[in-house]
Amino acid sequence: MSLASRPSEAEPLLAVEGLVTSFPADGSRRVAVVDGVDLAIARGEVLALVGESGCGKSLTALSIVRLVPKPGRVDAGRVRLAGRALEGLGADGWRRVRGGEIGMIFQEPMTSLNPVQTVGAQVAEAVRLHEPGSRAAARRRALALFEQVGIPDPAARLDAYPHQLSGGLKQRAMIAMALAARPKLLIADEPTTALDVTIQAQILELLRSLGRELGMAVLLITHDLGVVNELADRVAVMYAGRVIEQGTRCEVLAAPRHPYTEGLLRSLPARAPRGARLAEIPGAVPPPEAWAAGCRFAERCPRAFAACAAAPAWTALSVTHAVRCHSVAREVGA
Amino acid sequence: MSGHPAPRAGAPLLEVRGLQTWFPIRAGVLQRPVAWVRAVDGVDLDVPAGRTVALVGESGCGKTTVGRSILRLVEPRAGSVRFAGQDLLALPPGALRALRRQLQIVFQDPMAALDPRFRIGEVVAEGMEAHGIGAGAAERQERAAALLRRVGLAPSLLARYPHELSGGQRQRVCIARALATGPRLLVCDESVSALDVSIQAQILNLLRDLQDELGLAYLFISHDLGVVRHLADRVAVMYLGRIVEEGPAEQVFAEPLHPYTRALLDAVPSLDPAERRFASRVPLAGDVPSPARPPAGCGFHTRCPLAFARCRREAPALLGAGDRTARCFLVEDGAPRPA
Repeated sequence: MSLASRPSEAEPLLAVEGLVTSFPADGSRRVAVVDGVDLAIARGEVLALVGESGCGKSLTALSIVRLVPKPGRVDAGRVRLAGRALEGLGADGWRRVRGGEIGMIFQEPMTSLNPVQTVGAQVAEAVRLHEPGSRAAARRRALALFEQVGIPDPAARLDAYPHQLSGGLKQRAMIAMALAARPKLLIADEPTTALDVTIQAQILELLRSLGRELGMAVLLITHDLGVVNELADRVAVMYAGRVIEQGTRCEVLAAPRHPYTEGLLRSLPARAPRGARLAEIPGAVPPPEAWAAGCRFAERCPRAFAACAAAPAWTALSVTHAVRCHSVAREVGA
Repeated sequence: MSGHPAPRAGAPLLEVRGLQTWFPIRAGVLQRPVAWVRAVDGVDLDVPAGRTVALVGESGCGKTTVGRSILRLVEPRAGSVRFAGQDLLALPPGALRALRRQLQIVFQDPMAALDPRFRIGEVVAEGMEAHGIGAGAAERQERAAALLRRVGLAPSLLARYPHELSGGQRQRVCIARALATGPRLLVCDESVSALDVSIQAQILNLLRDLQDELGLAYLFISHDLGVVRHLADRVAVMYLGRIVEEGPAEQVFAEPLHPYTRALLDAVPSLDPAERRFASRVPLAGDVPSPARPPAGCGFHTRCPLAFARCRREAPALLGAGDRTARCFLVEDGAPRPA
């Protein structure tokens, strides 16, 4: 680790600035599917990155750890972890960051678990990768991790293969593996989307208590606003490759200001009166090739006006709450 | 249609009794069944004409198999499925086919449900052709265009292929295809689960409009309790192949009788920023037992916070009074007794 950059107290754990990730479109043109994303996560904080499919939320996370699948490419952006720039890292440096300082869990545990190796061996291997020591010590730590993530009968489960575990237990094993190197930041991409609701409740409770006990920050990527409400401290809403609103959980969920966030919350059946017609957002998210240079929500927005032909800048509504919307900017006289 | 015996007055459009669908676990060289997965193990269910009955539960509870058994996409081993007064399980193939046009299904994944090689016009007209609806191809295309309009799509999409449409448009096409044969009942199997929230709202509104216009009945199979609470008239909760609670949706959601229903409702993340649910309660522990080896007694006793000795020995019947039932000894006297 570099000694040159000592993190100050005020500096966020993770700071992302101007992140741009593109994929090839027709011909030689590339389309920026993550288009100028700025994010900051404080130590121990849970930031939810929410949006509908194709908005770029998962690619934003993959871009942060430079795991964008080909032919995708990170074109621009600065990422600082605990004050240290990650751009210049070599392959070895990245290996220490990924699965080290930054742990990762995904929707489908089987993308991370090897089907032909016991889960105990996999967790022990993750421990040894970041904490040199004996095999026995690694296994003891794996056992402690299994206990920590609430796997019942942990000693026996260390010797189980992934297919012998239920979906909830697989997800717990994956979380144990992600915790092996005592990460400062956990990236959790739709961690409960594939799980049944009673199992989802168990995993959300686990993530919440782990975050608190370990002082670990979480970048939670989800489409589920209920999960956001249960787990997040702050929320960033993405639409068509850009973050369009961010604020504290209460600001965004109780007093959303961007017309897209408002529409999204109004269209939730659970928040509508029983049997009433749901509020609709007309149309659908356009595909990236058709993304406008200006505000990308304008074509579906009830409040769109001439200014929306240009990309909106951030309008601050409080120290923590901001939106990118011309209509809101006009209202508050910014 | 003529020649159908009139259903009994006041009888529901769909009346399922004692439905059992088991799947074999095969082993050995001869692939003989060595055990059975009791996916559906004695289900009674009514769907009145023009109403929405939701079947809810977690994965593996058997809700999808109930839907498929009703349509005979899988063969039940026992029970009866009376539709408009006739038992679908007892009908000869020809008569079943004639009745099948009145019963359609809309699946979760519209991309998997639509053949990528066929144009939308062919997809929508296929069912009409199979059931001899419309005088010729031209008339069927005309009907298909009208159906697309009815589900909120431009008739110009008739010439397109499924991959050229968005997810929401594809699900509208699946609904148009289901409507093409003039059904009275739609089985909606997780029909909005794969859709983004903003698109889901559009499809839910469409389903509601179609019910108002056409008097359709829905058997709405879903794991999403927010959606079910919004649209269902009645709700049946399944656990391990059985219905553990049934009643008017509003009452079941407001005051669940069965401990499993209560746990299920408690586990749904709150959308109220003033209330985080998980902060105030312990989630239901453990996993659902395997339907190949269901526990003795009440199927839920292994996870039930209120279980007592009798629950481990004896399986409770559906108990209750009036409009509500639950499969739990704690409601034996019919009175709601929330813990």
